[in-house]
Amino acid sequence: MAALIRSLRAVRSLRGLGSAVVGQTCPTPHYNGLRRGFHRAALLRLADNPKSDSTVPPPSHHEHYQAQESGGTSSSSSAGQASASDPGTQHEDPQPNTSYQDQSGEQSEDYETEEQLQARILTAALEFVPQHGWTVDAIAAGAETLGLSAASAGMFDNGAGDLVLHFVGQCNAELADILAEQHNEVQLGQAEKKKTAEFLKDAVETRLRMLIPYIDTWPQAMSILLLPHNIPESLKHLSTLVDDIWYYAGDRSTDLNWYTRRATLTGIYNTTELVMVQDSSPDFEDTWTFLDNRIKDVVNMANAAKQLKSTGEAVAQGLLGAAVTLKNITGMNQRR
Amino acid sequence: MAASFRALSRKVVRQVRRNVTFGFRNRVRTAGFNPELSACRFCSGGAAGKSTHFGFETVSEGEKAERVYKVFESVAQKYDVMNDAMSLGIHRLWKDALLHVMNPQPGLRLLDVAGGTGDISFRFLEYSRSVRDRQLRHRARANQTPSWQQISSSYSSEEAEPVDSWAVVCDINKEMLKVGRERAEKAGITKGLSWVVGDAEELPFDDDTFDVYSIAFGIRNVTHIEQALQEALRVLKPGGRFLCLEFSKVSNPVLSRLYDAYSFQMIPVLGEVIAGDWKSYQYLVESIRKFPDQETFKDMIEDAGFFRVHYTNLTGGVVAIHSGFKL
Repeated sequence: MAALIRSLRAVRSLRGLGSAVVGQTCPTPHYNGLRRGFHRAALLRLADNPKSDSTVPPPSHHEHYQAQESGGTSSSSSAGQASASDPGTQHEDPQPNTSYQDQSGEQSEDYETEEQLQARILTAALEFVPQHGWTVDAIAAGAETLGLSAASAGMFDNGAGDLVLHFVGQCNAELADILAEQHNEVQLGQAEKKKTAEFLKDAVETRLRMLIPYIDTWPQAMSILLLPHNIPESLKHLSTLVDDIWYYAGDRSTDLNWYTRRATLTGIYNTTELVMVQDSSPDFEDTWTFLDNRIKDVVNMANAAKQLKSTGEAVAQGLLGAAVTLKNITGMNQRR
Repeated sequence: MAASFRALSRKVVRQVRRNVTFGFRNRVRTAGFNPELSACRFCSGGAAGKSTHFGFETVSEGEKAERVYKVFESVAQKYDVMNDAMSLGIHRLWKDALLHVMNPQPGLRLLDVAGGTGDISFRFLEYSRSVRDRQLRHRARANQTPSWQQISSSYSSEEAEPVDSWAVVCDINKEMLKVGRERAEKAGITKGLSWVVGDAEELPFDDDTFDVYSIAFGIRNVTHIEQALQEALRVLKPGGRFLCLEFSKVSNPVLSRLYDAYSFQMIPVLGEVIAGDWKSYQYLVESIRKFPDQETFKDMIEDAGFFRVHYTNLTGGVVAIHSGFKL
């Protein structure tokens, strides 16, 4: 998994993001296909709120377009079937079950897949969360604002879980957007590059501020996210979030650091979230102080580790030298 | 006995204005079929003598409707007792499961097709009421210590009274509805319930009227299942849900053996002993075997134009709940 993501990152950065990753080989066709699939998946799943991958700065938009073009019909088909088959045959042989999904390449205005509709319902439902909490009631109320029957809330097998996960996904995408924009500005020289610690703090704070409208009901959402059947999805969202932040923070590590960085940031994010839920200070000042301190801790620890490492190296070298000297003195090193 | 039945059913049929001559005497398969009937019904081929199955027999379409009518007319009085006896009471769990899948919010309109004795509708009303009570309790608890802003806003905006849930029981069979009405009276359910005689293939309702369409143990008795599904799609509001509870195919070979043995050996006997009607229950068992299995039926629902169709097996597939949405 990690390797996959890393390779994807590498490919992306090569694509002209301008970041200085040197010594990587060209993306193989295999990777291309992979990325395209990735794009397509992203397109499908989060059509109306472009996710991390579709937010890659300009160069990738070209790619994006290509993917759509080559995918043609399939970019909008939920099953991903009919890949790259020309629209003409699709017209002559419409599949009754796939309904209004892949009739042709061109899309009409009100054209919408089931997933898009579901995302729309859930987005509308968010408005009712402060009132109804993270429940099916909120989804039903949201569906009604879209002119659908309240019974359509039954579409979400996971009910409240789907709602929370949708919200988390949406926030992550939004954050990725913001970070990408900042990154762009830095690239274009319009803004100054922040220090890593500051960047992390700002990113986490931005993300946590998205919870403020729902802070009263957020503990409920957290408990829903921790239900066993939601754990895989919520972990995925969490890892995406942390990954996005580190990516835009400029992390290109490919060693053990990759893991430790993500682990520490995950820890920081989650503990800060817990503090925030309990926080009653104006504008959550205590939370931001807490966050600041935690990040400082990590920076300090990293420095300490670095010092320890260099000290250790020096000591080791000293010991090695002593040993050689000792050997020389005792004459064991003599070649005869 | 049989003669009186025939006379009675003839009377009823005349009332419903089904212009059909009886063809089931002596099991004459093609006799007495009136083309007018097929003209008013949906008929894909338009063939008057198009045959279908009635249990394991092959009969003409008009005859099937008649005979199904007769079956349920004769079992109506003992219907609930027989359900309990045959399923050992499990049918209640199945219906509860259907409601659980439906999870109706308060204020929905349910069309309970083939609702007969009202089992689903009663459950629906009760479930909706409990959901509403829970919501009200929740709201009351949240407002226990209101701030002055909340109080002032509550004065300024009178909250709209939540709409009551409404269930319409629709059954083609008057006898079944009669039994259902009696039960409703006994249970003291008067609000939010109406009883309508109507055919699942030609529902007497406007388009986009209902939030939920449910048909429990009814669709296999419908002559043209596709037509019934089309009608369901028509009367549902956008976003409305189609739910079907029906006997289905048991996939587990061991369970399947047991189930077959039980249904072919025991159920007609039970029918004879309790309801005094072997044939109707023989038909019941046979019609279950004739009904398409889960996947096939799912495809049929999708073909009718529903979205997000999926099914849940209950009791190892003896019964399946199919669910779909009109979008």
